[in-house]
Amino acid sequence: MSRLFGALTATALLLAGSAQAQTRPDQVAFRALYKELVETNTTASVGSCTLAAERMAARLKAAGFPDGDLTIFSVPEYPKNGGLVAVYPGKDPRAKAILLLAHLDVVEAKREDWTRDPFTLIEEGGYFYARGASDDKAQAAIWVDSLIRYRQEHYVPKRTIKMALTCGEEGGGPFNGASWLVKNRRELIDAAFALNEGAGGNLDDHGKRLAHTIEAGEKTSQSFTLEVTNPGGHSSRPVPDNAIYRLADAIEKIRAYEFPVMLNDANRGYLSKMAKVTPGEQGAAMAAIVADPKDAKADAILSKDPGLHTMIRTTCVATQLSAGHAPNALPQRATANINCRIFPGVAREAVRDKLIELIGDPAVSVSKVSVSRGEFNAPAPPLTPQIMGPIEKLSAEMWPGVPVVPTLQAGATDGVALTAGGIPTYGVSGIFYEPDLGRIHGLNERLGVTSLYEGRDFLYKLVKIYADQP
Amino acid sequence: MFKLLSALAAGAALLASTAVAQTPPPAPDQAQFRALYKELVETNTSLSVGSCTLAAERMAAHLKAAGVPDSDLTLYTAPDHPKEGGLVAIYPGKDPKAKAILLLAHIDVVEAKREDWTRDPFVLVEENGYFYGRGTSDDKAQASIWVDTLARYRKEGYRPKHTIKLALTCGEETSGAHNGAEWLSKNRRDLIDAAFALNEGAGGLLDEHGKPVVHTVLAAEKMSQNYRLEVTNPGGHSSQPVPDNAIYHLVRAIDRISQYDFPVQLNDANRAFFTRMAPVTGGEVGQAMTAIVANPNDPKANAILSRDKGFHSMLRTTCVATMLEAGHATNALPQRARANINCRIFPGVSAEVVRAELVRLAADPQVHVTMPEVRGAAVTSPPLTPQIMGPIEKLSAEMWPGVPVVPVLQTGATDGQFLTNAGIPTYGVSGLFSDRDGNGIHGLNESMRVKSLMDGRDFLYRLVKLYADAP
Repeated sequence: MSRLFGALTATALLLAGSAQAQTRPDQVAFRALYKELVETNTTASVGSCTLAAERMAARLKAAGFPDGDLTIFSVPEYPKNGGLVAVYPGKDPRAKAILLLAHLDVVEAKREDWTRDPFTLIEEGGYFYARGASDDKAQAAIWVDSLIRYRQEHYVPKRTIKMALTCGEEGGGPFNGASWLVKNRRELIDAAFALNEGAGGNLDDHGKRLAHTIEAGEKTSQSFTLEVTNPGGHSSRPVPDNAIYRLADAIEKIRAYEFPVMLNDANRGYLSKMAKVTPGEQGAAMAAIVADPKDAKADAILSKDPGLHTMIRTTCVATQLSAGHAPNALPQRATANINCRIFPGVAREAVRDKLIELIGDPAVSVSKVSVSRGEFNAPAPPLTPQIMGPIEKLSAEMWPGVPVVPTLQAGATDGVALTAGGIPTYGVSGIFYEPDLGRIHGLNERLGVTSLYEGRDFLYKLVKIYADQP
Repeated sequence: MFKLLSALAAGAALLASTAVAQTPPPAPDQAQFRALYKELVETNTSLSVGSCTLAAERMAAHLKAAGVPDSDLTLYTAPDHPKEGGLVAIYPGKDPKAKAILLLAHIDVVEAKREDWTRDPFVLVEENGYFYGRGTSDDKAQASIWVDTLARYRKEGYRPKHTIKLALTCGEETSGAHNGAEWLSKNRRDLIDAAFALNEGAGGLLDEHGKPVVHTVLAAEKMSQNYRLEVTNPGGHSSQPVPDNAIYHLVRAIDRISQYDFPVQLNDANRAFFTRMAPVTGGEVGQAMTAIVANPNDPKANAILSRDKGFHSMLRTTCVATMLEAGHATNALPQRARANINCRIFPGVSAEVVRAELVRLAADPQVHVTMPEVRGAAVTSPPLTPQIMGPIEKLSAEMWPGVPVVPVLQTGATDGQFLTNAGIPTYGVSGLFSDRDGNGIHGLNESMRVKSLMDGRDFLYRLVKLYADAP
């Protein structure tokens, strides 16, 4: 996951559960599966997603899945970046399938930087510690475990349930399993909709549940390279036409620009819900912007918060600079990376055109940096009652009083590839995170033991509700 | 040489001598000189694979063969730089009370890649009236002329009034390399002590027809100083940008620096340059030259002259952004943003004063301005006394009648600043006339016109005698 659930105001007051974890017998089996998956190194550098996929397939097979329902896939150029698709047939051949998606690969982790071995699952003080403990092996393990339990129960759903475990979500290489499946095995993963990472619940500093978030749409990350070239020369005789100065002017113009406010189901749902529990001018501004996205005053108030600012628009920010080849020579080349987070449905080209217009200098070239996931940017999937109903019902049962809040992901997940491929993808996990978001991508990644087990219970039930929907 | 004789307005109408270049057959002494020059050019002295020490030894052998005793030859190397050595030669004068004069040249050259050049850069090739090879101009022409001059004096039995010293040094071309001139100034100050020194850094300029246009004397040079602008920031994920961004702070500081022009300053060198160039330049530019000398605060004259990058730089301290570096990932807000600002500081202005000015221009306490390395104290300009200028003007008028002798302010930098700062006023003079294209100095296919080299040799041979016999 490319991080950040929703921006929640710290002052929101909410109820909280106070259940103390007690490992149930079924949780012991799950813990072993989770441990096996976490301890299978799936980093791009030295790990193997293919091995992890094989291990998960073996568990499904042991639970009774026939080989014909298990597809381990990989491409010859990237033999270690494979994945698994499992099919759990439903009884109604006309009911469209639902797809459970998770990625197997993890961000790099160096043993010497971590307090504990990142590829050994350690339970300590109520947390599981390991690379991938949260992102995204928690949900991957829950999906596999759910299918195993369904099979063991002889559960026969109305709809077919499919599961895709893929590689390459975190970057680190050019191969992205989710995109590859959409492009090459579309029929295998075809579904009415998909459930994915990208959301969960938010806890406050004291472990109280603030909100249960549902991701419905995500912004697209697209970097652009600005480049200026110049004949250069000796720095003892400077001239006004300097590659660095042109680049600096271009960056200054991009800095000064704010993309317009845009609303969709996800951020409209978020702001509407949060308006009710957010006090003061910020709460009022949330309501105002939903009523009128052109309300400049409301925009100004909301945009003081970086999380809200990015949720309601496309953003572009300078992240890298490089220029010159010697301290005593005029620069022959100056480049900048501008990282944009593009609002769902807005074309990458349109953002590039806007940057070119803002810069207004033909000497500054603006080019797209290629992306491994493919150039998708579909509009956000709609938050229909069919999707929201089961989540809200189940959430109210398990965490009464905790609001279910839609969010627009400012980061990016593999959901973009599926949504663009015609499979609307929603982020939902029922896993509640502390304010540090489980330190995903960082050092000493961890997940609360209770959070994991509750998320498991939630998803197990949620998938059943969807699968039995008329 | 750090390049650039002087900034001459390309369109200036100038007086020119009417002498037509002729190539007479080389005199026997020229043939000997040519062999010496060839040996020096063909001794690779680039920092990467060459050896200045070897070149110094070979030059010492020439002097020894001419009769200079071992005791007057000092081959030196700094202990940790065995290939970056040099030579100091002493040619004793008869008056023990007369202070010595020092002849300085560097024997290292800028790197040259065989595959980039038309000819092998370390083989002296003579073609169509030019010598080609790395160092044929910079600075092995003057280095070999100095050695040849001392050898000729010795063979003639010449007894000067003043002692003549020669220092051939290494490390001039590479910033940060072991610098022989600096090392001698600090460690063997007594050995090179002199009333003044003659060095590279000036010469003459030919027009496109090969006619001498102007004869320059380097009287002062600017100091090169790098400044680092640095902004740090907690950073964060680029999906949630915040206004407080290290790159934005840096960019705004650079923008303000780019819009600033340091005030016009005059000293002996650029005042004399503009005074002498005004009448031969004429027109609007010529008038502006006169005006700026009369009033350095004349904004109109400043604007006219500053259209020419050479004049612009000669009139003031300049600072320019040369490098940028920021950020660690495309999808992370930058935690650090840095720029290198290269300043060419007017003689007499301290590096700290310029730093303070950059801080003022940046106008942002988050932008830290530091000096990554300090090259030395502010460069002072040696005065252009009649004692110095007289012999040059006299000899120049004889050899190149009608060609004006013009002092220049070097916008680059040579080793002269180390000596000047050590109390040995150093002037750039060579009598070597170069083409308008700069003869590929520091670049590809460096060359030296054969006639220019031979004339420069004659000029310096006679000039040193004039100084050495001066009362």
